[in-house]
Amino acid sequence: MAKEFELNEVEVWDGNYAASQALRQAQIDVVAAYPITPSTPIVEGYGAYVANGYVDGEFVMVESEHGAMSGCVGAAAAGGRVATATSSQGFALMVEVLYQASGMRLPIVLTVVNRALASPLNVRGDHSDMYLGRDSGWIQLDAYNPQEAYDLTLCAFRIGEHLDVRLPVMVHQDGFTTSHKAQNVTPLKDDVAYKFVGDYVPVNDMLDFSRPVTHGAQTEEDWHFEHKAKQHKALMDSRTVIDEVLAEFKELTGREYKRVETYYMEDAEVALVVLGSSVETAVIAAEELRAEGIKAGIVSPRCFRPFPYDLVRDALDVPSLKAVCCMDKSAPGGAMGALFNEISAAAYTTESRPLITNYIYGLGGRDFSIEEAKRIFKEQKAHADAGHITTPIQQFSGVRGPKLGFFETRRG
Amino acid sequence: MIEIRWHSRAGQGAVTGAKGLGSVVATTGKQVQAYALYGSAKRGAAMNAYNRIDDKPIRNQETKMFPDYVFVIDPALAFTDDITKNDKPETQYIITTHLSKEELISQIPALQDKVDRTYVVDCMQISLDTIGRAMPNTPILGAFMKVSKMYELDFFLDNMKKVLSKFPQRIIDANMEAITRAYNEVK
Amino acid sequence: MSTGVLGTEKRGIRELGAEEKVGWDEVTRGVVLDSFEGDATDIVHKKAEERNYSDFNSYTATVASWRIIKPVYNRDICIDCQNCWVWCPDTSIISRDKQMLGIDYDHCKGCGVCVEVCPTNPKSLLMYSEATDNDEALAGWPQKEKKEKK
Repeated sequence: MAKEFELNEVEVWDGNYAASQALRQAQIDVVAAYPITPSTPIVEGYGAYVANGYVDGEFVMVESEHGAMSGCVGAAAAGGRVATATSSQGFALMVEVLYQASGMRLPIVLTVVNRALASPLNVRGDHSDMYLGRDSGWIQLDAYNPQEAYDLTLCAFRIGEHLDVRLPVMVHQDGFTTSHKAQNVTPLKDDVAYKFVGDYVPVNDMLDFSRPVTHGAQTEEDWHFEHKAKQHKALMDSRTVIDEVLAEFKELTGREYKRVETYYMEDAEVALVVLGSSVETAVIAAEELRAEGIKAGIVSPRCFRPFPYDLVRDALDVPSLKAVCCMDKSAPGGAMGALFNEISAAAYTTESRPLITNYIYGLGGRDFSIEEAKRIFKEQKAHADAGHITTPIQQFSGVRGPKLGFFETRRG
Repeated sequence: MIEIRWHSRAGQGAVTGAKGLGSVVATTGKQVQAYALYGSAKRGAAMNAYNRIDDKPIRNQETKMFPDYVFVIDPALAFTDDITKNDKPETQYIITTHLSKEELISQIPALQDKVDRTYVVDCMQISLDTIGRAMPNTPILGAFMKVSKMYELDFFLDNMKKVLSKFPQRIIDANMEAITRAYNEVK
Repeated sequence: MSTGVLGTEKRGIRELGAEEKVGWDEVTRGVVLDSFEGDATDIVHKKAEERNYSDFNSYTATVASWRIIKPVYNRDICIDCQNCWVWCPDTSIISRDKQMLGIDYDHCKGCGVCVEVCPTNPKSLLMYSEATDNDEALAGWPQKEKKEKK
């Protein structure tokens, strides 16, 4: 029986510690992990809880992140509550197994501390790894600060393990900006947190010897498509369960999370669509601009997958809305940013049809400032006043050197 | 909002100090941030740590700040770091040095128009005398309490004891002595 | 339909790949396939023909039609060494209590490895065309080969 961990009503925790405490409170059976900056303290923390008797589980040391996720798949198929953490190159090495976990419908929780992908090698936060996971069939939730990293990790188990869902869940937080920044966190007591998460209910567990099952079967063209269709439907349908779990969490804690977060959108004329810790900074910029008379708003798809197409459309279907900038914190590799593409598709079906532009920003942990957010808002205001996009459609924010931009509007 | 920027070397405990300060402040119902800019830095490399303190939840996740206080906890960094970066007219400087305030300022041009908002304290010597090794992170907080008048010394000491509770008693006692000395000696 | 040694009502009752193709709404979640119908506790102690294999189990499928040549087994010569049982890649050699019983023709693909590894002289397993009658094959079984002296 695990010992209770003494917690203060308010703790000062960084995002990593907050996530590791959530793993402890969920009483994970198995963590198979390989360390990588900046997510190492999450699994290091879990290892310490096991060693000190605060959790009744197993820490499995593996030889790589591919091994880590493989170990998690094995343990989850065996019938355990399983989680791990990774970042960047480690995430990239896990990718092959991520697809297996979701296809096998194993509700593993992966706490991802977002970090840039090499080359050049960089340990700081951007969204390259998060974007790399976006077709992997996992639910992806995005935390903007340590409190959210804690809260959403607890919610992740409820969502993924729900009998109607049974899909793996990633909880993202920004490397260093969130993972290494200590802020006030109000944790739940151990028993309250565990009661919220609930006992693990095994499904098709390999350790049930009364019902031997085959996991990981091969399907060729005659069966594969049906299985992928079923899996996609489960991911799309998980939206309802995510909403239910978040509503229940609000009931318990008073802290409200939505699949799409909106700030000041009711009468917004210009908006930023942004993810991660930058949301917080952008909200301050919007507040300051509103004091100057610019009606600025923010939209953030906190639930990155399944992509909340309908809710994004609702958020952007504001009659006053004229111009929107989608902020992608990942090098797009010869395309428009992923948020730009997905938000544009949703906005295309709105009545207001705002002008939409794309900024690539914050790569390799480049600081995103309130001033820069305000400048970008003001640029949107200029598009709105002109009635057409006045800059290249894709631009770079905060990069040194001559201005970098691609594609021009044909209007105006 | 109060913002603090620490100038330190990796290994001198600036992150621990910033988190310790945050933990004490959070017990009084305030909101805090404690973070650092580091990563692959080796022990001894110059680095910054940061605190933000406010009455309402802190949303700003920008790293850069215009500090109300600058702590320099390594004596050499006062000369080699840009310690007055993003200075405001009211920014106050608390600098670890064995020099007198006059001697220090005479050698650092950037501080010469900031005489009335520069404070000196020898946290290195204090920590060597009390803790037994160069660990200037807790004494600088004693000096900060004196300069900022944020909390009474006794209140701060009591709360720091809780923050340090995982350490052996003699380490806690030595830190209390270091904080108290810095509180009394800062000029 | 199952034929031959220890064949049961379920062994090889369908052509592999000829099962009913259900839609996405009816496939199993996570491609998880049950091996047996009902409670399978202690099934490891039961012999294959006593087990209640599920329709997902390859036991119920046949690949007999894949075969062009087949092994024929001659009980009179076999020494029950179990070499063929060890080497068969499709567990199609049926052996009980270390006594060789014969071939599972529902799952044998006719690879011939059993013949290659058979140590007797003449061999106790020989490959014949699929159309050859087993009794005819046994009637014409070759004699022992004499070793030529060097």
